[in-house]
Amino acid sequence: MKQFLFLFTLCFSVTVVQAQRFSTRDARIEFLSETPVEDIQAESNEASAIFDMSNGQMAFQVPILSFHFPKALMEEHFNENYMESARYPKATFRGVVEGLDPNKEGEQFVTVKGTLEMHGVSKERTIQGTMVRDGDWWMVESQFEVACEDHAIDIPKVVTENIAEIIGVTLRAELELK
Amino acid sequence: MKRTICGLATGLFLGFGGGLFAQDDLMDFFDDGAEPAVVTAVFKAGRIINVQSPETSGKGEMNFIIAHRFGRISDGWYDLFGLDNAQMRMGLDYGVTDQLQVGVARSGFGKTLEASAKWRFVEQQEGGGSPVSLTGYSVLMRDGLRFPEDGIQRKGVHRMSYVHQLVVARKCSPDLSLALIPSLVHRNLVGNVEQANDVGTIGAGFRYKLNNRLSVNGEYHYLLPRPVEDNFVNSLSLGLDIETGGHVFQLHITNSRGMFERAFLAETTSSWQDGDLYFGFNINRVFQVGKRR
Repeated sequence: MKQFLFLFTLCFSVTVVQAQRFSTRDARIEFLSETPVEDIQAESNEASAIFDMSNGQMAFQVPILSFHFPKALMEEHFNENYMESARYPKATFRGVVEGLDPNKEGEQFVTVKGTLEMHGVSKERTIQGTMVRDGDWWMVESQFEVACEDHAIDIPKVVTENIAEIIGVTLRAELELK
Repeated sequence: MKRTICGLATGLFLGFGGGLFAQDDLMDFFDDGAEPAVVTAVFKAGRIINVQSPETSGKGEMNFIIAHRFGRISDGWYDLFGLDNAQMRMGLDYGVTDQLQVGVARSGFGKTLEASAKWRFVEQQEGGGSPVSLTGYSVLMRDGLRFPEDGIQRKGVHRMSYVHQLVVARKCSPDLSLALIPSLVHRNLVGNVEQANDVGTIGAGFRYKLNNRLSVNGEYHYLLPRPVEDNFVNSLSLGLDIETGGHVFQLHITNSRGMFERAFLAETTSSWQDGDLYFGFNINRVFQVGKRR
């Protein structure tokens, strides 16, 4: 009986420690390169995200290969020539959420300060977004921009008319209490 | 006994709990969920030089390939090192899915018409899964030359030949890709009694990337022993792939002048030792004609 009680307490304590963590493995990230010549859009539904409510830490990670384009050739160029996904297979962001009231209902505007790493180059970023609490869920949305130059993504002169220097990124994640 | 089981269970739970406690770094979460990823862009184009690479046209993509093999370089100034005359091949490859491709082509060489199917049925994966990709390629070739008036009765079926091959490929590093390509060539009719109807070859090919847009390619096909002696030799080709956005230019030197499988695998006659080489190119242009998703 004693042992059973011990086990019970242990299980319970594990749950308590975990109670602060919200996560998902199918967050959606889209990006858009807009130029007068053409718009190039890609999306991934395989981004992972985790948010620890106890300390406000938040992290995202997306496999570069999981971005899909309307044309297979675009996807190949994206992976082979620009993102070099064989060498730098993932993009990650890690930061701390500021201005969040965990108990507040409804939409909250938040600022996340952290580091965005892609193509092997890290950049300190402050990214704005919204968070909505719905019971055991946090909905996180954000729109931000990434400058190719900031991450040493080289765009050759011949395609500067087709590929934007600043890429618009849209993120949507539904994080569940785990 | 009961005590032991309980102790074991407690230990297990402790271990499990310990694992959870140890997960104090957020980034550990990402490592746990890592799934195998398909390795892509093993070669740049659908062909290494002459032979098939594991690459196929993407879904809804039409790949137009125009290829030339000029005359013998050893012909010298009189023929401008072969540039005065060229053999041509035009081909269209369409991606039914990202793994399945069908194609048609026409070569001036033997006035040959081709119909082909190519299917990458196993993908190379990183972090688990298959270490190599497996691609099957089958092509039906129809010789279009007029039958000679030598009194021998020939039928339409005599024009046909077939090649079946398997491309076993692996991207060993971001820069180096290798392929092993066994092929079987069957000709319904051969030139003379010295030639076998069925010929097998074992081929090998590589690509080495010099930078993101330039690579060195090579391929070699070894003719397996035939029951009868013919004067055909092994095919060896070396070249460069140059990628410029929508086009891939492949420039090469080869001892095979025909650009379809029967010709370069089984019927190569010029040899590197004699310097009877051909300069040539393939230009690959991709058009998105169908929807990808």
